[in-house]
Amino acid sequence: MTNLHPTEFTVTVYRTAGTLTVRVAGELDYDTSDGLTDMVTRHLTAEAGLSDLRLDFRGLTWIDSTGLTALLTLHRRAAAVGATLHLDHRPDVLERMLRLTNVLEHLTAPASRAGTPDRQEGDATGTSVH
Amino acid sequence: MRTCVPPLVSSSPGTSARPPDAGHTVGATWTEAPCPVLVVDRHGGLVDVNGAARILLPGAVSGDWLHEHVPSWLCDAHRRITDGPRPADAAPLSGPIRERHFEAHPTAAGDGGVVWWLVDDTDRRLAEAALTDAQTRTEILSHVSSTLLSTLNVPRCMEVTASMAAEHLADAAVLVGPAKGWRQSLTYAVRGGPVSQVVQMVDVSGVPGLTEALQGFPPVPARWINPDDIPDWVTPDGFAGPVGSVIVAPLPGHGVPAGALILLRSSTEQSFSEGEEVFARLFAARAGAALSAARLYSEQATVTATLMRELLPPALTSVHGVEYAGGYRAAKDHERVGGDFYDVHPGSDPSQDTLVVLGDVAGKGLDAAVLTGKIRNTLHALLPLTDDHQRVLDLLNGALLSSRHARFVTLVLASVRRRGSRAQLRLTSAGHLPPLIVRADGTVEDVPSHGTLVGALPAVTAHTVRTVLGPGETCLLYTDGITEARGGPLGDEFFGEQRLRRALAECAGLPAEAVVERVQMLAAQWLGAGRHDDMAAVAISVPRSGPLTVLNGRAGVSNRRST
Repeated sequence: MTNLHPTEFTVTVYRTAGTLTVRVAGELDYDTSDGLTDMVTRHLTAEAGLSDLRLDFRGLTWIDSTGLTALLTLHRRAAAVGATLHLDHRPDVLERMLRLTNVLEHLTAPASRAGTPDRQEGDATGTSVH
Repeated sequence: MRTCVPPLVSSSPGTSARPPDAGHTVGATWTEAPCPVLVVDRHGGLVDVNGAARILLPGAVSGDWLHEHVPSWLCDAHRRITDGPRPADAAPLSGPIRERHFEAHPTAAGDGGVVWWLVDDTDRRLAEAALTDAQTRTEILSHVSSTLLSTLNVPRCMEVTASMAAEHLADAAVLVGPAKGWRQSLTYAVRGGPVSQVVQMVDVSGVPGLTEALQGFPPVPARWINPDDIPDWVTPDGFAGPVGSVIVAPLPGHGVPAGALILLRSSTEQSFSEGEEVFARLFAARAGAALSAARLYSEQATVTATLMRELLPPALTSVHGVEYAGGYRAAKDHERVGGDFYDVHPGSDPSQDTLVVLGDVAGKGLDAAVLTGKIRNTLHALLPLTDDHQRVLDLLNGALLSSRHARFVTLVLASVRRRGSRAQLRLTSAGHLPPLIVRADGTVEDVPSHGTLVGALPAVTAHTVRTVLGPGETCLLYTDGITEARGGPLGDEFFGEQRLRRALAECAGLPAEAVVERVQMLAAQWLGAGRHDDMAAVAISVPRSGPLTVLNGRAGVSNRRST
């Protein structure tokens, strides 16, 4: 069994005033990304009054394109509640992917305090992400 | 209730082993016994009967002959027993008396007479028969289910259903499938005979109840119909004799009717009993479930195949003096599409750029494949704008942006134009692994293009690189499924860019197809049986030699070399 799951995927959420810290360990991929998105989204409510969402990748061993989709989704959700995303302790594999896809700057840009998602993220019907 | 002393005891003290007073006790008991008791002398005359026997055989009184009141099986048994002693291990005698069934137990009376104790076992026999029937039917049903569920092939399911129905339910069975246009698929089976399937126009309304059974609504129970009412097409070839009884049972499917089953028995056979009708319904339910599962499966398989055809990677050939080759392997080996894609859009003439696209959508399987379809179509529409890769990417980004998800694509655009013996390339990577170029001398170069992934951010930027391929040189576009193929001797190591570069260095001068083949083969070997992501590669090569006289892209005729 352990051979099939060389590294267990874990998400640990810590909450301090205004900051949600999420430790992500293991492989963030096709099989685990939804778990991270769901877990963090549950804590990202407007009532929580968060100003920062810190994802701590110290224990991250692998990330694939679906994992990056999860980060892009979390960035949108954080922006929607006015929180800035931080990607801390980035291992090489994450750094490489962020550099290749050119999204680091976008992901970690300070959120506007208005708490609205980016203008262009509304779809054709004008609804926005929540 | 009679209370007289039974004659067998009182009149024959010499032959009875029991003392006379014991006889009184027994006598008082047997007349009131709950089972019928007959005392018969050795000549077959009734000596006495108890109360239960008088209820069973009204009118039987002492002095009558036994054969006047009971069936021959008991008279014969009586005769045999008075002729000689019955063996101790003989099976109990039994037989019908007036619509009931009895076991007859003889005990000796005086003067060679016999006391017959009749035990009614009608109910037990019925229960035993019912149990055996139920067991047989359960066995048949489970056999039906296991046979039918082992196939998802609709014609095979219909064949098995008809054949088993003819075997276990009737002399012959006709399975009427749902209509295909004006025609009906009919499966005929005769017990012990072959199964035949035909598709033909028949008038289903000619069989009472069949139209309703085929519509599946309103739900109709299986019903008997008059054998005289059925049209000729219902009777299978090889059916012996006129039809005696007929049942039409609907085959209930998952929401859609799976057809109907017509069961036929010849007039020489017993007609269907109520229990058999219930069983036919159970049988039809199982067959219907299996048939509709098979039908749904084949419909889905058709839909998937249709969609798949649109999404499959194209076959690539030479265009305007430049060779193109592509290879693709989906993440799940049983699927043929996934999140990687490539296309080559030939320039309208040799002076125009040919656009090569290779990309990778986040995700796997059909979900991802559908998005690749959208991207490929959009890019096709944007072909007139490919002089400016940045603009194409901007427009594609706008088309893909959605608030519902952050799905994105990374891709490489390559615009290729043959100039003399060389090819000019404009390469743009949008968040994708940069292409690699194999020079004629085996040097492997990175193309330093980089840009933003497409479809998730409000704006994208990309940097286009221009380069030139000489004869025998190749530019390889590939997805990370190749470099991230996990395997090797330890099973968990990436194939990696360094191994890819080394492999490419050995490919200098090879045709495009050989380069793709080689790269795919090495990645597959590295993987072994390991799990992998979608893998795609496209090679753009300028042939090393040949009668190419293309000058300034004008003489396109000469690139027919390969045909």
